[in-house]
Amino acid sequence: MSTQMITGTMDDYDDNKDMCPICKTDRYLSPDLKFLVNPECYHKICENCVDRIFSLGPAQCPYKHCDKILRKNKFKTQVFDDVAVEKEVDIRKRVFNVFNKTLEDFNDNLEEYNKYLEDVEEIVYNLDHGIDVEKTEEKLRTYEELNKQLILNNLERSKQAMENFSQRQQFEKDMKLKKKLLERQIEEEERFNKEWAKKEIVNRLSAAAAGTAGGDTNDVIEGVRNTVKLKKSSARRKLEELNLVLKNNPYFANTNMAGAGGAHPRSSIPYTPFNGDRDLHQRFALQEDKYSDPLVQELEKRSDYTASGFRSDYVYERVLTEAFMGLGCVISEERA
Amino acid sequence: MSNPNYSKEKKVGEGTYAVVYLGKQLASGKSIAIKEIKTSEFKDGLDMSAIREVKYLQELDHPNVINMIDIFMAYDNLNLVLEFLPTDLEVVIKDQNVLFTPADIKAWMLMTLRGVYHVHRNFILHRDLKPNNLLISPDGIIKVADFGLARAVPGPREILTSNVVTRWYRAPELLFGAKHYTYAVDVWSIGVIFAELMLRIPYLPGQDDVNQMEVTFRALGTPTDKVWPEVSTFPGYNKLQIYPPPSRDELRKRFIAATENALTLMENMLMMNPHTRWTTAQCLECDYFRELPEPSNPADIKLSK
Repeated sequence: MSTQMITGTMDDYDDNKDMCPICKTDRYLSPDLKFLVNPECYHKICENCVDRIFSLGPAQCPYKHCDKILRKNKFKTQVFDDVAVEKEVDIRKRVFNVFNKTLEDFNDNLEEYNKYLEDVEEIVYNLDHGIDVEKTEEKLRTYEELNKQLILNNLERSKQAMENFSQRQQFEKDMKLKKKLLERQIEEEERFNKEWAKKEIVNRLSAAAAGTAGGDTNDVIEGVRNTVKLKKSSARRKLEELNLVLKNNPYFANTNMAGAGGAHPRSSIPYTPFNGDRDLHQRFALQEDKYSDPLVQELEKRSDYTASGFRSDYVYERVLTEAFMGLGCVISEERA
Repeated sequence: MSNPNYSKEKKVGEGTYAVVYLGKQLASGKSIAIKEIKTSEFKDGLDMSAIREVKYLQELDHPNVINMIDIFMAYDNLNLVLEFLPTDLEVVIKDQNVLFTPADIKAWMLMTLRGVYHVHRNFILHRDLKPNNLLISPDGIIKVADFGLARAVPGPREILTSNVVTRWYRAPELLFGAKHYTYAVDVWSIGVIFAELMLRIPYLPGQDDVNQMEVTFRALGTPTDKVWPEVSTFPGYNKLQIYPPPSRDELRKRFIAATENALTLMENMLMMNPHTRWTTAQCLECDYFRELPEPSNPADIKLSK
């Protein structure tokens, strides 16, 4: 069961990756050709051959010089291209099913746990490379016998963790879907409202023109707009609620906590947007719409200024900054 | 080599008006870059951009803005002694071997915005922000550099030239030829850089000035008077093809890895109307920088294998 043997025999057959070495069927001619391997020897055989050879019970591997007896129910699809990888993964799966202790089982004693992991790794390595296979297998069996209850418990635990995870995934997926639906609904409603408003305005205006009702055109338009505004909207409210739920959801909170806890020791300085470098004690406060500067006010009205993004508050802020600049700054202190 | 304080060791680059050398500050042994400006070849005196660079770099002192250590004259050439910054964001974006994470992008955006915020708060417009001009120090800090096109914010009556900023990073008001633009042009450039960091390819690569408008508006929608009052008074507005602005869903599809808050920040930096486009202060205060993942520690970002 050594790797050498596998590669050695493979070389004789494996010239063409897409051809079954037993019946010489080619993927080019039968595109749905599927290869299977048996963990006994990891020789690649196509599905048809497996059916043909092993249907009547256990038989010898059809590869030349391979004397392993294979059973049909042990055949499986190869996941990894590299047979060596496939084999190691299988061994790991088997070993970890038995050696499934976690850090908790060692009362958080990291050193012991690491030692245990090292031992497990040793077993995997030995099995993978065909060193002391008999002895190692024996070790595995004894451990399994001795720790039956513990293994079962741990299995249960990891199953639960998996379940939690998939539950959470499902939850997030559902929420996302719901959100999308609501957003679409809102968009549609808005479109509908717009159209309705247009029609309503025309209707009312024509009614006004006919003389049945008085009222200014602008008033009518304003009125309709207000109704539309009020109509917004049950879907929107639902979306807000959903966002709230998402924010407070139990799964999420969990991960957030973990993330924050993990990140804390890294940065002792809390995040601030300006890295503490912002003058919050300015000597003036900018007022809104309170300055009357004929020049600026006139410029503000010109279309080439408006369109360029000209803002009077930028002008005022600069003027005020410059006016107050240097106040409270003692030169003799600055020099020292 | 007449200055006794610095050594020039290696030529690392040459532009139309300057040569850059790698050197050492002899007293401290620190690596520096010396930008030698070829004054002797210019009959009309110093090049405009050299004057601008000196003028504004002298004023600015911030961890995210390049530091000018000294200036001296040698053989009729003006020499600027700058801190040594081995790489820039453009190199990083283009290097296929470098993998960076959303946390790295956040750290870069944060540093860039802080640097530009400082520039703006000193009433200076940078006017040439692009990945190539965001240099990275050996310990991963972003430094805003190249003030060759910078200028002080003008008085209200002064007229500005709209022929600034490298084309791909040019804000729509500049494309229209605005003469009284504001800090908002720099914020637009940062927005495009943000998009480029997420996509790892230039976001709005126009082939020429006309095509740049086409590309910009196809991606982000053609502005109308409704979202941007008086935009139609710009000469050249009428000839435009009208594209609808992209919906959130379309943006989500384009920027697969971006979070909602990241998209909000980008949308507001790439707002057509310069009035409603966020200022650097608003950008820094947004939720994107507060949500997880935390921005990476600059020194931990790996820029080469």
